[in-house]
Amino acid sequence: MKNISIKWGTLFLLIVIVLAGCSSSASNNEGAENGGDSEAAQELTYATTSDVVGLSPIDTNDSVSSAMIEQVYETLFIRDPETMEIKPHLAESYENPDDKTWVIKLKEDIKFHDGTPFNAEAVKYTFDQFKSEERAAPRASLLEPVDSIEVQDEYTVVIKTKEPYGPLLAALSHTNASIVSPEADESGDLNQNPVGTGPFVFEEWEQGDHVTLKKNEDYWKESPQLNTVTMKVVPEYSTAVSMLQTGEVQFVDAIPTEQLPRLESMENVDVEQREGTPVYYLGFNMNKEPFNNPEFRKAVSHAIDREAYVNQLNGLGVKNESIIGPKVFGYNEEAKDAGYSYDPEKAKQIIEENGFKGQELTLLAANRDSYMKMAEIVQAQLTNVGINAEIETMEWGTFLDTTTEGNFEMTFLGWSNSTADGSELLYPNLHSNNIGSSNRMGYNNSEFDKLVEASRTTVDQEERKQKLHEANMLAIKDGIWIPMHHGVVTAAYDQSVKGLQLDPTGQWSLYNVHRE
Amino acid sequence: MIGLIAKRFLQLLLLLVGISFLVFMSMHLAPGDPATIIGGPTATESDLSAIREELGLNKPVLIQYFEYVGGVLQGDLGYSFQNNQGVAEAIATRFPQTLNLAIGSMIVAVIIGVPAGIISAIKQNSWFDFSSTTIALAGISIPNFWLGAMLILVFSVQLQWLPVGGLSAPFWTIEGIKQLILPAITLGTASAAMIARMSRSAMLEVIRADYIRTARAKGVHNNTVIWIHALRNAMIPVITVIGLNFGFLLGGTIITEQVFAINGVGRLMIDAIAARDFPVVQGTVLLVATLFVVVNLVVDIVYAFVDPRISYE
Repeated sequence: MKNISIKWGTLFLLIVIVLAGCSSSASNNEGAENGGDSEAAQELTYATTSDVVGLSPIDTNDSVSSAMIEQVYETLFIRDPETMEIKPHLAESYENPDDKTWVIKLKEDIKFHDGTPFNAEAVKYTFDQFKSEERAAPRASLLEPVDSIEVQDEYTVVIKTKEPYGPLLAALSHTNASIVSPEADESGDLNQNPVGTGPFVFEEWEQGDHVTLKKNEDYWKESPQLNTVTMKVVPEYSTAVSMLQTGEVQFVDAIPTEQLPRLESMENVDVEQREGTPVYYLGFNMNKEPFNNPEFRKAVSHAIDREAYVNQLNGLGVKNESIIGPKVFGYNEEAKDAGYSYDPEKAKQIIEENGFKGQELTLLAANRDSYMKMAEIVQAQLTNVGINAEIETMEWGTFLDTTTEGNFEMTFLGWSNSTADGSELLYPNLHSNNIGSSNRMGYNNSEFDKLVEASRTTVDQEERKQKLHEANMLAIKDGIWIPMHHGVVTAAYDQSVKGLQLDPTGQWSLYNVHRE
Repeated sequence: MIGLIAKRFLQLLLLLVGISFLVFMSMHLAPGDPATIIGGPTATESDLSAIREELGLNKPVLIQYFEYVGGVLQGDLGYSFQNNQGVAEAIATRFPQTLNLAIGSMIVAVIIGVPAGIISAIKQNSWFDFSSTTIALAGISIPNFWLGAMLILVFSVQLQWLPVGGLSAPFWTIEGIKQLILPAITLGTASAAMIARMSRSAMLEVIRADYIRTARAKGVHNNTVIWIHALRNAMIPVITVIGLNFGFLLGGTIITEQVFAINGVGRLMIDAIAARDFPVVQGTVLLVATLFVVVNLVVDIVYAFVDPRISYE
């Protein structure tokens, strides 16, 4: 028997020695990385919970792909993250000879990563592809009002729209409207081998694992400071946080509420939060009784304490009763408290008067933590006023299908609003043209439709703002959506990372980033 | 023996036809349309029908199935709906990581499970026996995602001995082994516990057998009795459990791959299910089913070699 104990003892010792060896070599490595650090390694690893779908701005439509596309490609215009004004980027300037014509002058002497010159032909090629039915670009609707794109001279392009189209500049500043190298697109697959004009050049994509980008040495402005950028797929957010803590990654974004306290307690990590453009709402199916009854919607709205709901988000949400959020073009302070605020007595009164007492209903929620939380809180608050709500949860793919088909009563959803323009919020979600697809609630109000159309067909930006405000007020009064909260965009990064700027749309550029 | 193998391969083929049909139908009949997921929340009806046309989803389901099977028979597993990558290629780039993880876990399971079970049996009802059976019970009950998260917190975040994520380095390098340790323990624990319990009961049965008593009566040294005479016979049922567990480990890596950010077949499958990427789901399920059956066949063959009493004629 003694023999056996000795063997076990030896084995245990061996394991300890091996592990100790591991630990000392690990700290040695760290020393090498951080020790002689007059020059910090200009490398950055970003962790994301899902992989990019592809790297072609024309053929993708998801936020992770956009995050990488943003670093490789550029758009004609960009929205200044501070002022929210749109300004030229690859474009030099523009003018409107009439309401339907946009003459855009381009910057000269810019080259794509493959050496192809950036010029009016490239812009025309990109947008023609974007609109091509064969290509079936998922965001084709952005340029749907565009009638033609013409090359006037090498650096001037003329865009003609069918009707006057106010949000054109916002659409052209959308990541998906980035300009691609025509040469690279014709000879290969941009999803696999992206070629743009941006500060970083594509190096490698190992599907499911990582995307690597390298510094663009021939960038048309000063070259970026980072030499290498890696996007690493880490499906579990808590694993990504651990990797941030140990220094295996330096940057994560879109922080879930429950991870915020842990990140904030970490000494080597800075957390950034700023008010953003996303809106999360409770919506009613307008094709079902009693959800199409404005009195019912009013009662529900009075029953929900959004203040209390927002308070449990750890600061990752802002209460505002406006559908168009404070960081979105078309917002007016007047809309802030224009909804039917929390007043359970009033809710009970409306319920009593209209015979809604004991109404049974189902709250449909996608099985993501944030939506399920909303559903639980709303369920409890509806019970308080005498409405019996059940919760039904669904996997995301099934949820999208079910809501598009209109098989729900009340549901929760969000809109990230990546153009930060109110027309791009109200038109797809609430205009009657989109019933059966993106207008999931089936909202149909001709007065509202006219205002939204006017906001799209007016080129004068002040007038557009006014029209959007009016449309917004109308939808708020109709109680079609109850905004649960307006999003706060977030990022957490290692303290050695400097110069990262978070856009209110949740996107970011690594152009100005360096490590110290 | 050859007859057995031939028969098993025939069974395998039938099984694969059955599985492919079930998976194909359940994916196509389940709610959730790949086109709506690819198009996203903003897609219009015309966008969606263009996408369906491109993916060939507007044909009758049975026709689609026969086209798929025809392709598979010619070695063509199809292309991902999401990114157009070949399914065979996608699986080939990820399978090594899954295999690496499964073998690592198997080694952990055997190294811990077999000695623990044997010592428990020899020292039946001792403190070692009680604690090892209790730990074994805990090992089977602890969920992988929790164990993985805890190991990361202790060994990576607090002690900083081992890295958190990925199996990016090749397994024969020091870095590769360090990356493998935590995921292998996470995935291997439940199997270790099962193997320990099986080894314990097999060993208990054997050391009470007549021939062991005879050997002892003849004055053979205790260690020789246990490690030479008893162990060989006790290992026969254990080999079966180890084999079955290996099949289970190969198909059961999903959660461990998620927690440790390992780019393996399990994650490929789960991502494909969420995206309704039918060809990828079918390809990965077929792979896992095939592996499971093949592993079982190998176990049966090994069994016949280890135990001369067993014959498949």
